[in-house]
Amino acid sequence: MSWVTVIWSMIAAVCLTLATMQVLVWLKQRTASASLLFALMAVGTAGLAACELWMLRTQTAEEFGAAIRWGHVPYWVIIVSLVGFVRTYLRTGRPWLGWTVCGARTLSLILDFVFSPNLNYREITALRHVSFFGESVSIAEGVPNPWMLVGQLSLLLLVIFAVDATLAVWRRGDRRSLAVLGGTIVLFVMGSIGQFVLTFWGFSHKPLTPSLFFLAIIAVMSYEMSQDVLRAAQLSADLRESEERLDLAADSAGVGLWSWDLKTNVLWATERARLLYGFSPDEPLRFENILSQLYSDDRDWVVQASQKCIREGVDFRHDYRIRLPDGSVRWFKVLAKSSFEPSGVPVRMSGVSLDITGRKLAEQEIERQRNELAHVARISTISQLASSLAHELNQPLGAILRNAEAGEQFLQEPSPDLDELRAILADIRKDDQRAGAVIDRMRGLMKQRKAERRRVDLCLLAGDVVTLVRPAVERRQVRLAVEIAPALPPVHGDPVQLQQVLINLLLNAMDALGDNPPARRRAALRVRPVSATVEVAVSDTGHGIAADQLLRVFEPFYSSKPKGLGVGLAISRDIIVAHGGRLWAECNEDGGATFTISLPAAGGDAT
Amino acid sequence: MNAPAPLVRVVDDDASFLRAVARMLRASGFAVKTFTSSAEFLARPEREVPGCVLVDLQMPGLSGLDVQEALAREGCALPVVFLSGHGDIPTSVQAMRRGAEDFLTKRAPKEEVLDAVRRALDRDARERAERTRLEALRARFTALTPREREVLRHVVQGRPNKQIACDLGIHERTVKLHRTAITTKLDVHSAAELTRLWLEVGGLEG
Repeated sequence: MSWVTVIWSMIAAVCLTLATMQVLVWLKQRTASASLLFALMAVGTAGLAACELWMLRTQTAEEFGAAIRWGHVPYWVIIVSLVGFVRTYLRTGRPWLGWTVCGARTLSLILDFVFSPNLNYREITALRHVSFFGESVSIAEGVPNPWMLVGQLSLLLLVIFAVDATLAVWRRGDRRSLAVLGGTIVLFVMGSIGQFVLTFWGFSHKPLTPSLFFLAIIAVMSYEMSQDVLRAAQLSADLRESEERLDLAADSAGVGLWSWDLKTNVLWATERARLLYGFSPDEPLRFENILSQLYSDDRDWVVQASQKCIREGVDFRHDYRIRLPDGSVRWFKVLAKSSFEPSGVPVRMSGVSLDITGRKLAEQEIERQRNELAHVARISTISQLASSLAHELNQPLGAILRNAEAGEQFLQEPSPDLDELRAILADIRKDDQRAGAVIDRMRGLMKQRKAERRRVDLCLLAGDVVTLVRPAVERRQVRLAVEIAPALPPVHGDPVQLQQVLINLLLNAMDALGDNPPARRRAALRVRPVSATVEVAVSDTGHGIAADQLLRVFEPFYSSKPKGLGVGLAISRDIIVAHGGRLWAECNEDGGATFTISLPAAGGDAT
Repeated sequence: MNAPAPLVRVVDDDASFLRAVARMLRASGFAVKTFTSSAEFLARPEREVPGCVLVDLQMPGLSGLDVQEALAREGCALPVVFLSGHGDIPTSVQAMRRGAEDFLTKRAPKEEVLDAVRRALDRDARERAERTRLEALRARFTALTPREREVLRHVVQGRPNKQIACDLGIHERTVKLHRTAITTKLDVHSAAELTRLWLEVGGLEG
């Protein structure tokens, strides 16, 4: 067998082998279009090598012409896939230039089949035999076809395209080896052009070997791509190690990790996460599995919050309850984030879940105790209001009694005044409602109940409190100024407890005024928004608080009053702190003290 | 003398209660006038009109006790009946000590209220009659001449005519003439009666 046959067969074989490898890669990962383009180029190069071998071995001029003509087909494949490869793998190159190259090359291919015998020759006059690798091979002599300039122009454009792309890669500077790859493409395409020009225009009498140039390019491309495989292997090893470390950390913290693929709705979860949610280690999971485990009261808002996380990218940070298969209820703290494609389509939501049942139970116990204490304190506060509440009740009840007596008397007359009787009954009804309202307010404050959290309008609340304490204010001849700013933001809280605190502060203020002559018994209640909070200030012109006692007044069992239990302010502060706010005391410049409650304004979210 | 009918004044800041009390009192045959604040009442108490005052103890501004005090200060003797939302012993003691006619809760039975009002009106009528009588008496005393008054002052001390004549440096017969003029002007028949009236008008100044 001759050397020429051996070498050209090997070129084709190498190209086909490399092409097969990359096609396999592409089949596994359809997004790896660079692999497909590489494979096309390698197949094209193999085809080109076959045509070259045909040329070298041919004995007639016609056959030589046909070999060149068919050689243009793999050549077209090579050029087009090379342009595509530069675009996808180097991620650069001017698109319009690439399209121009492909266009010019396609035009060359068409012209190749228009002209006879092919694009390069008008006519092949004779075949010459020259010695090549110690063998006699054929080369052509004939009239060059000027239209082959189109083909050579396309190659020149390819060079420009490749130079431009190489410079861009170099400037980008992320991977220098890519620039080397670009340079290689430029160099060998130019080499190939040189050989064409010399051969077809009759300056050189050597056989054409473009496949050798492209083999060089393929070799460098292949090397670069194999580096990718190495890098991926390294990354995967690193990733595994990092995953192991994360698992260890998550496991030792009792945290379960999970990730929900939004396209396939498959839920991946660590062993710990499966254990937490009561799933078996190998059962396939979907989002619905988690939903079905959720405590029924929490289901709706968890779905809403999850959708918000997926659609708007708002982090999911919530505590929710899970009902395990054995019927027990567990509290989980969950933090999750969504990730998105660059186009903004959500891809997955992944997060961590932590069992916080123990903490929650402790919190609930503390909350229960605080409520009980607050209730006791509330009863004691209200008992201070009792005499003024009796007054408030006796007023409408007295009016009802007098009206009823008057009515009875009217009825004893021979012709009672029915209009007057109607007016009496209307008054009785109104007074009954008035008395009922007093009782309702009282009952609302006295009832032993669980604390709740809802939107509270401090303007309304302060108004209610002022109504409740008004009789006491009048009885003690205190002048109470009330200033409530309009358009207050709402706060989150328990209305009864907040009322309790406010009543307590107002009663304290009035107690502090007891020693003043009536003309100097002044107190003020001010409610106003301060940045993201609402402040409620109760001030008096009473005996004031010594500067060193400003903090001590909040200590339990501290009292300046002979009859005081000394828990009112301590519990008030407790209640306000549980609402995420602050309560503090200050001395007024002109005597007396001011107690201020600051509560965070509620945001748009009501949960 | 043709005195106007007694008028019951009611002062309370609670409009509904005020209306109800007024209805009940009117139905029971009293003339009633209502006031929604102490200040409104004190501006026009119409002291010459007989009657009494029913006043709420707890009111913003001037309280019931303030009203009582203001009336006393102005020498207005209208009897005061207090009404209160609830019985408060220290306050009621204070009110009664200052001469309140009664101290009632707002839900006191009708009869108690009416009794208190009647008692207050009786007292007012009594006091007014007494005042009228005393004023007439005082007028009679003021009709005496200065000399007669001087003689009278000695007479009520129980001194005999001779001593009076000696003290004043006049004749005993002149003293007798003065005494006759005095008993005639005052329409008394004995020295004892003269002394009683003298004490009743509280003596004569100067």
